[in-house]
Amino acid sequence: MNWSSFGHGSSSTSPAADPAATRPRSTRWAVGILAAALAAIGLVATLPGGAPSPAAASEESGEEPTTLTVGVVDPTVDSLNPFTSIYSTPTQIHRLMYDYLTMYSAEDATPTEGLAEDWEFSEDGLTWTYTIRDDSTFSDGEPVTADDVAYTYNTIMEDDSGAMANSSYLDNVESVTATDEHTVEIKLARPSASMLAIDIPIVPEHVWEQVENPGDFSNEDEYPIVGNGPWILTDYQRNESLTLEANEDYWRGAPGFDRLVYRFYKDGDAVVEALRKGEVSFVSGLTTLQAQALENEQDIVVNEAVGKRFAGLTLNPGAEAKNGESIGDGNPALRDPEVRTAILHAIDREAVAERVYSGKLEPSGSYIPSRYADYHWEPDESEIIAYDPDEANRILDEAGYARGDDGIRVSPDGTRLTLRQYVHSDIPEYLQIAKFMEEWLAEIGIEVETTPSDDIGGFLDSGEFDILFTGWTVNPDPDYIFSIQTCDVRPAEPGESYQTDSYMCDPAYDQMYAEQKTELDPDARAEIVQDMQQELYEHGVVIIFGYPDMLEAYRTDVIEEGSPQTQPAENGNIYGQDGYWGWWSAQPAGSGGGSGDDDSMSPVAVGVGVGAVVVVVVGGFLLMRRRSATAGQRE
Amino acid sequence: MSATTSPSVPRHLAWARRARTVRRLWREFRRSRPGLLGLGVLLLACVAALVAPLFISPVELSVSRAPGPFVAPPSWDYPLGTDKFGRSILDLIWQGARVSLTVGFLATFMSVFLGTLIGIAAGHYRGWTEAALMRFTDWVLVLPTLVLAVSLVVVMGRGIGTIIIAIGITAWPVTARLVRAQTLAVESRPYVERAKVLGGGHWHVMTRHVLPNVMPIVLARTTLLVAGTIIAESTLAFLGLGDPSRISWGSTLQEARDSGATSAGLWWWILPPGIAIALVALAFTLVGRALEQVLNPRLRERL
Amino acid sequence: MGKTARYVVGRVLGAALSLLAVAFIGFFLFRVLPGDPVRTMTEDQAVSLEQLEALRAEFGLDQPLWQQFVDYVVQLAHLDLGTSFQYRGAESVAGLIGEKLLPTILLVGTATIISAVLGLWLGVRSGWRNGSVSDRVNTGVALTLWSVPTFWLGLMLIIVFAAGLGPIPDIFPAGGMRDPNVTGWALVPNVAMHMVLPVTTLVAVVYAQYLLVMRSSLLDEMGSDYLLTARAKGLRDAAVRRRHAVPNALLPTVTLIAIDLGGIVAGTILVESVFSWPGLGNMFYEALKVPDLPLIQGLFIFFSASVILMNLLADLVYPLLDPRVRR
Repeated sequence: MNWSSFGHGSSSTSPAADPAATRPRSTRWAVGILAAALAAIGLVATLPGGAPSPAAASEESGEEPTTLTVGVVDPTVDSLNPFTSIYSTPTQIHRLMYDYLTMYSAEDATPTEGLAEDWEFSEDGLTWTYTIRDDSTFSDGEPVTADDVAYTYNTIMEDDSGAMANSSYLDNVESVTATDEHTVEIKLARPSASMLAIDIPIVPEHVWEQVENPGDFSNEDEYPIVGNGPWILTDYQRNESLTLEANEDYWRGAPGFDRLVYRFYKDGDAVVEALRKGEVSFVSGLTTLQAQALENEQDIVVNEAVGKRFAGLTLNPGAEAKNGESIGDGNPALRDPEVRTAILHAIDREAVAERVYSGKLEPSGSYIPSRYADYHWEPDESEIIAYDPDEANRILDEAGYARGDDGIRVSPDGTRLTLRQYVHSDIPEYLQIAKFMEEWLAEIGIEVETTPSDDIGGFLDSGEFDILFTGWTVNPDPDYIFSIQTCDVRPAEPGESYQTDSYMCDPAYDQMYAEQKTELDPDARAEIVQDMQQELYEHGVVIIFGYPDMLEAYRTDVIEEGSPQTQPAENGNIYGQDGYWGWWSAQPAGSGGGSGDDDSMSPVAVGVGVGAVVVVVVGGFLLMRRRSATAGQRE
Repeated sequence: MSATTSPSVPRHLAWARRARTVRRLWREFRRSRPGLLGLGVLLLACVAALVAPLFISPVELSVSRAPGPFVAPPSWDYPLGTDKFGRSILDLIWQGARVSLTVGFLATFMSVFLGTLIGIAAGHYRGWTEAALMRFTDWVLVLPTLVLAVSLVVVMGRGIGTIIIAIGITAWPVTARLVRAQTLAVESRPYVERAKVLGGGHWHVMTRHVLPNVMPIVLARTTLLVAGTIIAESTLAFLGLGDPSRISWGSTLQEARDSGATSAGLWWWILPPGIAIALVALAFTLVGRALEQVLNPRLRERL
Repeated sequence: MGKTARYVVGRVLGAALSLLAVAFIGFFLFRVLPGDPVRTMTEDQAVSLEQLEALRAEFGLDQPLWQQFVDYVVQLAHLDLGTSFQYRGAESVAGLIGEKLLPTILLVGTATIISAVLGLWLGVRSGWRNGSVSDRVNTGVALTLWSVPTFWLGLMLIIVFAAGLGPIPDIFPAGGMRDPNVTGWALVPNVAMHMVLPVTTLVAVVYAQYLLVMRSSLLDEMGSDYLLTARAKGLRDAAVRRRHAVPNALLPTVTLIAIDLGGIVAGTILVESVFSWPGLGNMFYEALKVPDLPLIQGLFIFFSASVILMNLLADLVYPLLDPRVRR
């Protein structure tokens, strides 16, 4: 960095000896530099990378493969092995490469057929039978059978190394058997409502059984990777790009594009510029300002989608371990439901949506985002806890929290209503909401001290907080997201592992959770789920602000406008779906338009590139010649 | 000077001599136009930073209650436009000068203090002390500075104090080396030998003789270093490691980047902080170079 | 002879000691980092308690600190830098570093060479024509560019040349090292194109150092007696400059290149981030956020080792260049 300052005079000694002893080194410098340049050029040319020849179709037609290039910012691809990868980008890639037993529909993210055409469960709900389709083949020609499903699931259940990524889906499973080529039978310990939400990629048994340790298998060594999804992974350059080719034989139909490329960027602005230039054809995760700027551009269309995440915070309800020992030192006032209700009345979700998210947030107090239409709950007139500071003040006054001289309320037993608030220092919107919280609560006589932190989890560990910001992505099956607010996932003793998000422990809620977990009738389950959201809303430990929109944009001169199927159908997103609908259904614009913008460079670009190399080489030569020509001069 | 003479006389003479030297140096400094320019800019910046609270109210800087329109381009009301919360960019730059300059000065003083301490100790005590201190200095010099600073901020948590410490303890080695070299040079001068012979202890020699002679070089180096630390603060803020509760030039750039200002074409949000940083850093550099020229005649322009 | 040998051995031992110290610091410094790697990595994912425990065990995080340290030392003794928490598909941290080494060296090497050559050339011209307009302009431009924050300059370059501003066309890529699926010789112009903006950024903020050092060294030299002698003998200016003044003035500059490698590493982190260059600098910064301890430690050791090595080389090469030091 230029802050280790340059030192002139750091070693100035006066010359004493005869300088003729030193020959001009300039010639050697020039040669050295030239050699280095040539070596560099040679090394660059040998860089690994590039997909092997594309699918047969485009080869025959002799055309450039139609390519959809997606720009992604800062994805971490931890592993291409579906047994061990936990980050979201590779999980998404696996959705493209491998089929799942069942899928979530594009319409509304409800279960639909995947590898399994049909399914049924026994009376007692303990045995599920799936019928595997017969028109699915792996990319190397082998047909997909029930054995592959059984192999995949059993590997996860039996092999420790295979359990890393997905074992949670099979915790309740006792056995998985392929009763014949096209039937899989799964036996459970207890009935489960989530048997159509097993997000496990089905891998080819005939390939993987040759591997000693599935967990250690890199899956990055040989391309193309054998899979049975609509796309086949043909190339991966760490931190640079990922290339997939269309699976022409996919049972649901071949994708619209021949080739799908993910290009990795590290800077949000750079990826938008890349979209403008045509270096990429699709970008997701835009900021509000970027989306607004792109809306006015020709050939680019912006898609504002309903979010999958909720943004919110939790109030410390008096954190306790399961054995009853208390954890940390939350302000006891928060244990009083009246106080929490008052805080609920002091929150203005509309303001958050308008001023913090510039309108790109759907304000709501419900735990399940609105995109899951069957599950989402909205309070009706009588149930709304509205933004009403006066009401909040009234509640606190009546509950006996009198204001002190400095305006801050004091509880009947003498505790001052001062709350410590911890917020993620790297989420700008949260930092702003935190400031709003300070102002809102000040109005009702509660003092809030905010401290940004890089390690919010640490405060959850210690229990030494009053308000903690949180946010989660909600999957189509809400079981997991509900589980983290139950009594059962708190640490057994202080210091032990836990999964709770808030230390909430509400018996009524837990009761409903147990019910929905085993309710096999979708409508009945939806009812329970809605009641649970109401319970959370009123209980006031987990406070939701709403669902930030997902902002994406794509080039209409590459991708036919409107062709990518969104999920859900209305206001849905294309990138980051629970499924492959977006990329599978996207069609090239016009007829055969959208040839790889990234494959061919403009002539000007090539010219400059070649020119730069030439300048360096020629310049080096000239330098050399000048020096040696005059070296002959003697004194 | 005999030890029995009243001490106030030689001290008075010494101060008079120093005052004359300072006046002479100032006259020389004035001859350097870049130096004067830099000094002018610096004074302007410092004064502006100091009086900022008199002109800017907290409401105008608040994310939730700022009065202006959102991301408006420059206009008469808002000469540098507004950001996404409606805050005037001019206000942000003005206010940001306080943190940027403060961190710059404090971090520099810290590193100069450390460097001077270690440099004088090494140069004065020689032997084992010098070898150990210099080895340690060389070793810290070798550690990648930004890497270390980033790690320190992550470990210590974000905040102004952390940044000052992180920058301060990664930038002192160069100063230490320079100070040691200068200490060696000073201590080889005859009058220092005389002072030692006359019974001057370590403390006396270091503070009365070495320090005043080392200070000019240190001053020049300090000025140059401040330029670097101001840039360093903005870099750390840009990387998301700044103090989120304070406005600085670096944090304004980071907010702009986080909001996608560059690709949204909001040049008035991106340009001013960078220009401010560059201007102030340049000003410090010019002043520092002018100081060095004044102190080392060989660097002056040839006539 | 004995003296040279002692000098060399002394320097090498010193370097080895420094490296050892770095290895130890590398462990303790980063264990203090806040954040639970397992929690950060599984954020937002539906993972069970057993999975969390399994991950912790896999990473060795359930062991007491002293046990982790012993494992670390034993690994290092085998020259094994461990496996990254994040990139479990890669073989090892050493492998990861190897993969991303070429991109970083390409960027850093090119930038260093160009800025050194540029700085030296301009420094010589400036120093020789000391006081003239061209001297002032050269120095002024260099100083201004040096005062600009690296990342900001990078963003500006992207705006102007990658996005295109007004009449300036957007001919340069917005990021990355190369276009996907380009192989063989076609890669050379492709990578060269992608290198232009990041290298320009690095060079712009750094070349001032070389220019100023060269210039001041030259000024120092120019006041020397032996040059007057050479001139009196009738040598042309250019010859005087080239054969005598410049080589002597070169010496401090050479050491400067070595010493400032730490600064170059810093510049790389920023430039790699802004230009999405797939190198080591950004990998380090991203790893800090998890924290991906083996990767951070490995990279820290690697960066420090490189600088220590370069310093060692400079220490050994300097006497060869300057006979005065040898005696």
